Amino acid sequence: MAASKKSGGHREMLESMYSVIALVFILVACVELCDAAAVVDVYRLIQYDMSGSPFGSRLASLNHHGASLHFPPGADLSRTVLIIPLRELNITFVREYIDQKKPLGGLLFLLPEVFKSENGGNKQIHEIEKLKSMLAELEKLLIHSNIPYPVYFAFENDDIDTVLADIKKNDAIGQPATATTGGYKLVIPTPEPNKVASPTITNIQGWLSGLKADGEANQLPTIAIVASYDTFGAAPALSVGSDSNGSGIVALLEIARLFSLLYSNPKTRGRYNLLFGLTSGGPYNYNGTQKWLRSFDHRLRESIDYAICLNSIGSWDNELWIHVSKPPENAYIKQIFEGFSNVADELDVKVGLKHKKINISNPRVAWEHEQFSRLRVTAATLSELSVAPEMLEGTGGLSDSRQFVNETAIIRGVKLVAESLARHIYGHQGKNVEIFADGSSLAVSPAYVRSWLDLLSRTPRVAPFLSKNDPFIMALKKELADHTDEVNVQNEVLEGLFTFYDSTSARLEIYQVASVTFDLLLLLVLGSYLIVLFSLLVITTRGLDDLISLFRRPPSRKVKTA
Amino acid sequence: MTMFHFFNCAILTFGPHAVYYSATPLSEYDTLGTSIKAALVYLGTALVKLVCLATFLKVSDNEAFDPYQELLKALIGFIDVAGLYFALTQLTHRNISQNHKFQAVGLGWAFADSVLHKLAPLWVGARGLEFTWDYILQGLEANANLVLSISLAALGSLMWLRKNKPKTLIPIIYLCAGIVATMPSITSIMHTVFVLHSH
Repeated sequence: MAASKKSGGHREMLESMYSVIALVFILVACVELCDAAAVVDVYRLIQYDMSGSPFGSRLASLNHHGASLHFPPGADLSRTVLIIPLRELNITFVREYIDQKKPLGGLLFLLPEVFKSENGGNKQIHEIEKLKSMLAELEKLLIHSNIPYPVYFAFENDDIDTVLADIKKNDAIGQPATATTGGYKLVIPTPEPNKVASPTITNIQGWLSGLKADGEANQLPTIAIVASYDTFGAAPALSVGSDSNGSGIVALLEIARLFSLLYSNPKTRGRYNLLFGLTSGGPYNYNGTQKWLRSFDHRLRESIDYAICLNSIGSWDNELWIHVSKPPENAYIKQIFEGFSNVADELDVKVGLKHKKINISNPRVAWEHEQFSRLRVTAATLSELSVAPEMLEGTGGLSDSRQFVNETAIIRGVKLVAESLARHIYGHQGKNVEIFADGSSLAVSPAYVRSWLDLLSRTPRVAPFLSKNDPFIMALKKELADHTDEVNVQNEVLEGLFTFYDSTSARLEIYQVASVTFDLLLLLVLGSYLIVLFSLLVITTRGLDDLISLFRRPPSRKVKTA
Repeated sequence: MTMFHFFNCAILTFGPHAVYYSATPLSEYDTLGTSIKAALVYLGTALVKLVCLATFLKVSDNEAFDPYQELLKALIGFIDVAGLYFALTQLTHRNISQNHKFQAVGLGWAFADSVLHKLAPLWVGARGLEFTWDYILQGLEANANLVLSISLAALGSLMWLRKNKPKTLIPIIYLCAGIVATMPSITSIMHTVFVLHSH
């Protein structure tokens, strides 16, 4: 009994040993090798469906040889990734490839470091402007096409530059990279992109209540300041939208900060409630704004005196536009415009008024204030853009980086809005009173503006890829909570025509590979080496006859067995 | 394709050992046991060597050339010779002839060295997509090592096993044995010098 137990224990131990050994072998076999020539962070072109029709890059995983633009004419590129630096980009070439649906293994666009969010260098501005317009054109092309292969963006660095130089050299010789000639292999091991299940949009609202006189029964009027905070661009992981609408968010937060200072003291507390709204879903016809307004109490909606929407106020020189949906003759519009233009005159900037009627039957909502206007709330959008952007354009894509945003423009914008609001609230219309004077305790803080602008310029904010509890949303909420009495977060499902797919960023591994031909040749050489070695050894140790008999023996044996 | 490359490199690294065993009379006299024992002795020697290296050698951050350290390394290298001595004189297996014994010992020695030093890097490295010449060079090194081990074993057997040696040859044998035993140090010094000059 005891002996059998003992042997059983022994067996058990042996079995566990085997499993340990097997585990070790599996571990050894699974050692993932990352000895690539270069590893680069890459950002995938957005993949989405709009009312069922596919757009963007439809594939994510990549395992092809690389080629440069100098590929030999007539080469088969269906298993090749074209690496195109933005500086050498020929937009008509790309357009031709996409429109004619020519087969390609993939596309990799290299963006100059200038567009990197952390980068603050200012090189030749003329060249950068040229690159920016080119990038904007490329982005527009890519967003609106259906591309059946992976498309990635990466930033130029030394590693990838050396690889590209090498590839160019090979292409110049006329040696296209294929399995038989070696070259560089570009590998992105990502799984098939999945649909983003029920993307949420999160609206954040802050409430700063005004001073109610004792015994006053009526509700105080409310002024709303609204900015849409999410972005949309060719590469969701790079869509930081410094100008659209990072500048608007910064301005809103700074205005909230200034008025919280005023409202914290009962003496300077205005007789207006202030409502701050950071809305999501901006690129999708201001879907979030619509949901936010619908959620309002009827009385609250009635009490809104007017709403100011801030949109792209970060790179203007001298002129801002107030976009409205009601005719300029309207008394409220007139009042708003006069308030703004008075302050603008003092600040030595120009403010223009643009009227664009809304068409209820058209689903396109070009400006955020149009959502207010549809619900008969007086509203206006302050923007540097004179014309409404098209759908999915001017929504903070690739080319909208920190580089092109001017802090002083934002500061002037903040001052313009805050000053005209304050004059309206405290009844100083037409008077020349400077409340937020430079140097006073109520001055616009450039440090605050800069730090928020820098943060926003580092944070991609494409709504479907921002979760409800994203640190960025939490940060916005906390910041607004610091400056207002009450903060509410509203989570809604982004409904409508859009479906999004994940895997927005990945790591690209570039390997220098040997060709199959080389390996075959090597095998041949090694085989002959071993045969020669064998023959030499046999001859020197046993003699030539032995070697010959070695090859003779088997047939004679066969004869015997037969 | 990567498996193919691994296969190629493995052939280059371990093929010659097998060819040597099957082509020479070693296979006819069944000297595999001696080779295996020699390999085990090599394992023990390698362990002792490791302990010695870890104990006596300083780890220098900069790869500067230090003559004292190099001398120490060469001295530790002589542990190999001691191991070979043990394998040649103490191992007896079916009374094989001296002629076959040193070949079997050298072969086992070289094979164990290849397995210990080359197999793991090969498995980890040569299967990757990235192509380098390293593993082919490593295979060639294994070939050279085989020659070196067998010649060292041959010299050892001449020194320790053979009774009637011609008097005039003795110093030459010892000199050769010394050179062969310090070969790793010599190559490392040459490598350092070469690298210093090329930079």
